[in-house]
Amino acid sequence: MVLADLGKRLTTAVSNLTHSNVVDEKAFDAMIKEICSALVEADVNIKLVANLRKSIKHAVNLKELGPGVNKKRLIQKTVFDELVKLVDPHNEPFKPKKGRPNIIMFVGLQGSGKTTTCTKLARYYQARGFKSCLVCADTFRAGAFDQLKQNATKAKIPYYGSYTETDPVKVSRDGVEKFKKERFDIIIVDTSGRHQQERELFAEMVQIQQAVKPDQTIMVLDASIGQAAEAQSKAFKESADFGAIIITKTDGHAAGGGAISAVAATRTPIVFIGTGEHMFDLERFAPQAFISKLLGLGDLGGLVEH
Amino acid sequence: ALGFFRKFVGGKTLTKEDMDKALAGMKDHLLKKNVAQEAANDIVKNVESSLLGQKTGSFQSIDAVVRSAVEAAIKRILTPTNSLDLLREIQQKRSRGSRPYVISIVGVNGVGKSTNLSKICFFLLQNKFKVLIAACDTFRSGAVEQLRVHARNLKELSEREGGVVELYEKGYGKDAANIAKDAVDYAEKEHFDVVLIDTAGRRHNDQRLMSSLEKFAKLAAPDKIFMVGEALVGTDSVMQARNFNAAFGSQRSLDGFIISKCDTVGDMIGTLISMVFATGIPVVFLGVGQNYQDLRTLNISWAVGLLMS
Ligand SMILES: Nc1nc2c(ncn2[C@@H]2O[C@H](COP(=O)(O)OP(=O)(O)OP(=O)(O)O)[C@@H](O)[C@H]2O)c(=O)[nH]1
Ligand SMILES: Nc1nc2c(ncn2[C@@H]2O[C@H](COP(=O)(O)OP(=O)(O)OP(=O)(O)O)[C@@H](O)[C@H]2O)c(=O)[nH]1
Ligand SMILES: [Mg+2]
Ligand SMILES: [Mg+2]
Repeated sequence: MVLADLGKRLTTAVSNLTHSNVVDEKAFDAMIKEICSALVEADVNIKLVANLRKSIKHAVNLKELGPGVNKKRLIQKTVFDELVKLVDPHNEPFKPKKGRPNIIMFVGLQGSGKTTTCTKLARYYQARGFKSCLVCADTFRAGAFDQLKQNATKAKIPYYGSYTETDPVKVSRDGVEKFKKERFDIIIVDTSGRHQQERELFAEMVQIQQAVKPDQTIMVLDASIGQAAEAQSKAFKESADFGAIIITKTDGHAAGGGAISAVAATRTPIVFIGTGEHMFDLERFAPQAFISKLLGLGDLGGLVEH
Repeated sequence: ALGFFRKFVGGKTLTKEDMDKALAGMKDHLLKKNVAQEAANDIVKNVESSLLGQKTGSFQSIDAVVRSAVEAAIKRILTPTNSLDLLREIQQKRSRGSRPYVISIVGVNGVGKSTNLSKICFFLLQNKFKVLIAACDTFRSGAVEQLRVHARNLKELSEREGGVVELYEKGYGKDAANIAKDAVDYAEKEHFDVVLIDTAGRRHNDQRLMSSLEKFAKLAAPDKIFMVGEALVGTDSVMQARNFNAAFGSQRSLDGFIISKCDTVGDMIGTLISMVFATGIPVVFLGVGQNYQDLRTLNISWAVGLLMS
C-alpha cells in the first residue's frame, strides 16, 4: 500500500533511537537524517522536508531537556505530530445530505484518474442510499464520454454527456439541470485533465464551476506524482478552490509523498484513496489513523472505513 | 575582500571536505528538479570521486567546478550510444521484405500511451507511411473508442499529407497478445508499412499483468518497444523503468522512452534523468502537449539547460 515502505523506514528510524541506551545529539541527528531521506524518497516536497527537519529539531531540544523528561516519548510524539500535520489540514470536508442535490465536480492533471474515480464515488454514495448520477464535461479527450458511459453502465449509474456538443460549459450545465429536476442527491461532474501552464484550460475550468456551482470540488492526484505536485495543486487551489483531495493508484509502488505534499500546500484534506482500476477500489481516508498505522503505533481511529 | 578570495581556490587539490557543501547543494538542486533520490545520489557520488584529488584551475570556485562536473555527468547520462533514425529504419525494413515494422507502446496507467501513439502515427503519416493502429488495450473502458476517434481524426488530417491509417480492433475482454499477432498478420497481408500497438496501462508491481508482457512480445515480435513515462512522476520513475525493462524476458529489453507531459512540469524534468539512469535506455521522444504535433525528439542541451537552471 501507499506509504508502506516509508512507514517501515520511519518506524525503524524512530525505534532505533528510542531503543538505544543513550539518546544523544549524534543519534538524534542520525534519526532525523534517516527520516528526511525516507521522506525525500517518498516524493515529499523538498522544502517541506527541510521544514519538518527544523520543526522536529526545534520541538526536541535535547540540550535543554531536563532529566525528568522522557526523551524517547517526546521524540516519538513529535515525529508523529509533524507527520500528521503533513496530511491533516484540520479542515473538514463537505458532507453530502440526502433529499437535496449535492453537486461534486472533479478536477485534476491529465491522466490522474478522474473519470475512473468519479464512477467509483457515485457507486460509493449509491450504495449508501444516495440517488447518484454522472455528468461528462470532458468534451476534449478522445473517447472520454465512451469511457464514462461504459463505467457508468457497469455500475448502473445514470449518466449525461454528448458526442456532438464541444462546449464543456454547456454540457455540464445541461446535465446538472436535468438531474436536478429529476431530484438526484449526488451529481458528479467529470472534467478534462488540465495543468497550470495552460491558461485557457484553467479559465474553462472556472467557467464550468460557475455553470454548475458545485457544493464540493475535488482534486484528483496520482500517488506517483513527484516534485511538481506542490506547484500544480496550488495553482488548482487558486483557480478552482477545491475542498478535498482524492489520491489514486495507491495500489502502485509509489509512496504517495508528492500527493501528500499537495495536502500541506493547499490545506485541503484527503477524503478517499483509489486502490485499483475496478469500480469497488475506493477507500475512505482518515489522516490520524493513517499516520499511526504508518508508524506502527497501532490503529488508533480505524484506518479504513469501507 | 577576504570573502572574495576564500571563494576561489585556484590551483587547490580537492578533498572530500572541500566539496561536501557544494555537492550537498547540487544534490538538493537535482532533487528539486524531480530527479529521483537514487539517481541524484549516484550522480553526486560519481562527481565526488572523479574530482577527488584533482587540481582546480586558478580562480575557479569549488562551486563552479562541482557544478560543471554535474552538468557533464547529466549530459553523459542523456547522450545515447547510438542514435535512432526511426524513419530510415522503417524504410530499410520495408525495402527488405513484406513484414511491417512493428512498434508497441507500454507503460503504467494514464501516462499518455494512447495519445503519444497517436502523435507518432501523425509523424509517420506526414512521412507518407501506411499505418495500422492495433487496439490492444482490451481492458480500460473507452480505450477502443479513444483510438477510433484518433484514427478518424488522423485519417482526415492525412488525406492532405498522403499517408494512410486504419484501426484494427476486436473490442474488449480478449487476449491482447493474440490480437496483436492477428493485427501484424493482417498488416502484412494488406501491405501496411507500420503497426502501432497500444497496450493497457499496468502497474509495474502487478506480477500478473507484467508477466503477460513476455507473451505479448513473443507473439507481436515488435521491432521497437517504447515505454511511456510521464514527467510528472517522482521517485517511482526508477522502478517503473527497471520493471518494464525486465518484463520482456531475458532476450528482450525496452528500446526507448517517451517522456510525456513535459509541458506540465516547467523546469522539473528530472524524470528524464531518472529513467535513463535506471536502465541505460535512451529517450526517443518527448510529449509536450495533447495535440498531434506535440511530439519532440530530445534536445540534450535544452534538457541540461533546464536541469541546471
Ligand atoms: N492501478 C490503478 N489504476 C487506476 C486507479 N485509478 C485510475 N486508474 C487508471 O488510470 C488511468 C487513467 O485514469 P482516468 O480515469 O482515465 O484518468 P483521467 O484523470 O480521467 O484522465 P484524463 O481525463 O485524460 O485527464 C486508467 O488506466 C485507469 O484505469 C487506481 O486507483 N489504481
Ligand atoms: N499535457 C499533456 N498531456 C498529455 C500528454 N500526453 C498525454 N496527455 C494526456 O494524458 C491523458 C492520458 O493520456 P492517455 O493517452 O489516455 O494515457 P494512457 O497511458 O493511454 O492511459 P491508459 O490507457 O488509461 O493507461 C490524456 O488526457 C492525454 O491528453 C502530454 O505530452 N502533455
Ligand atoms: Mg477523464
Ligand atoms: Mg491508453
